[in-house]
Amino acid sequence: MGPLESLAEHSAGGFPNLLRAREETRRRLAETRRRLSGIDLEPRASVVLFGSWGRQELTEHSDDDWALLVDGPDVTGARCSMNEISELVGKGDRKPGDQGIFGSAISCNDLVELIGLEADDNKNLTRRVLLLLESVAVINESAHGDCWQRVLDGYLDDSIKSYRPPRFLLNDLIRYWRTICVDFVGKERAGTGQKWALRNLKLRMSRKALFAGGLLPALLCHRYDSSDIGRFLSEILRQPPIDRLAWAFLELDAPDAGVRAIGAYDRFIGMLESQQARAELERVPRNEANRSAFFVEGKKLGADFQQGLLALLFETSLEPLVREYGIF
Amino acid sequence: MVGGRGDWPALVEEASRVSSFAVELTALGEDELPGLLRFLAEEPQLPFRYVSVHGPSKGREMPEDELVAQLAELPTFVHAIVLHPDQMKDPDLYAPLGGRLLIENMDSRKDAGKYGDELARLFERLPAAGFCFDVAHAWTVDPTMKVGGDLLDRFADRLKHVHLSSISDGLEHVPLSEEQEDLFIPLLSRCRDVPWILEAEPPRR
Repeated sequence: MGPLESLAEHSAGGFPNLLRAREETRRRLAETRRRLSGIDLEPRASVVLFGSWGRQELTEHSDDDWALLVDGPDVTGARCSMNEISELVGKGDRKPGDQGIFGSAISCNDLVELIGLEADDNKNLTRRVLLLLESVAVINESAHGDCWQRVLDGYLDDSIKSYRPPRFLLNDLIRYWRTICVDFVGKERAGTGQKWALRNLKLRMSRKALFAGGLLPALLCHRYDSSDIGRFLSEILRQPPIDRLAWAFLELDAPDAGVRAIGAYDRFIGMLESQQARAELERVPRNEANRSAFFVEGKKLGADFQQGLLALLFETSLEPLVREYGIF
Repeated sequence: MVGGRGDWPALVEEASRVSSFAVELTALGEDELPGLLRFLAEEPQLPFRYVSVHGPSKGREMPEDELVAQLAELPTFVHAIVLHPDQMKDPDLYAPLGGRLLIENMDSRKDAGKYGDELARLFERLPAAGFCFDVAHAWTVDPTMKVGGDLLDRFADRLKHVHLSSISDGLEHVPLSEEQEDLFIPLLSRCRDVPWILEAEPPRR
């Protein structure tokens, strides 16, 4: 039984929408793997899916944010064309977002070697953090696994101390979260903030879950000797973000708060499955959002979710760590 | 909060001196409700992150469907509408309040809404409704707090906020005593993530 199922035992209603989304993810991942099985790649290259695929939260309307990930300094690891892949994944309504982060080739070396400074642009930061926190291989799982481990090791090389959270990783995760929050406003000011209400709720829910799903394991490294921190992170970060959160609520003896926080998240996933809700959230502009019953409900779910996370961070044994490492 | 009933700006000011996090604006008597509805309809700028309204439980004369219609018009910044289950004669009429409706567990004087089974039957008919846990009410029903623990076990996923106080022999809410604080801590520690509404002056210690 996984952490989500264990936490569900403390709840009368369980988490039906999340479990259904997991089943849908398994089904569609198997289907996508079959479809791409004929793609010819070098052993060091893999086709990877991000976002709700990696979180195991697929709904009918989820995008296919895919990339060709190459373990090496160049991205010529595919023996096929990018067009060949894009014919098989991310077509029509499911095409990757238009920021150029996905739907292209990624060099693992860039992710590992360009952390910080000018060259670590928004795109590189996003790709690196999402690879670590919410990615899944479609084909060539071992190449994806090798890149994933290199990215994690890249954070841990020279900066970790026994019984302390790994600062380099922690700072990059916090930086990523703050970056997407600032960029949310930046996009709106630049006139590129379409689907405002839907993106706002995703920031409150799935983006926040992603961040918390990295933050909590990083903080909990304080339990380990430096020789064990890599192993701990490697195990916990391979689970979907919501499992990491469910595990943390159980581990830190806050199952009631966990039931409510993950329950709110579950209802948000249910909302995303509704064609009517999704259509309204995609359409309603910012100045009318508070008149949308779906948006108002989503905001309340977001508040419930955040309340649970804050209780976990500030009302459990984590509090001294958050105070010490969360702000400065 | 008590004192100055009906003077909503003054009550808000008084409440904000205790905490700017959460408030419950209480129209316990039905005659207090119109003034509260008018005050909130003007969408006043309030300092609180969480705003609850406690619906009337005394002097009820208004038909239930009319009461629900009035409460349903509360502005969207009102997160919760707390009602007493013993006052809900036809629970189905309360469905329009959706997830904002919170059903509170009752004290030992009441005929209904004290035990998990009674509340479960209500939640079956109002599946979107949340739960308001009044810890002092639970104590009056069972001073060992087992009934209170059962309510939290059964309705953990519905809990939205807590009512906190001690309770006098006459079943009036009074400041939380040290003795009851100790007794309530195991249950309150399960509610660390939700707002706690003080139903009496904060204890001075």
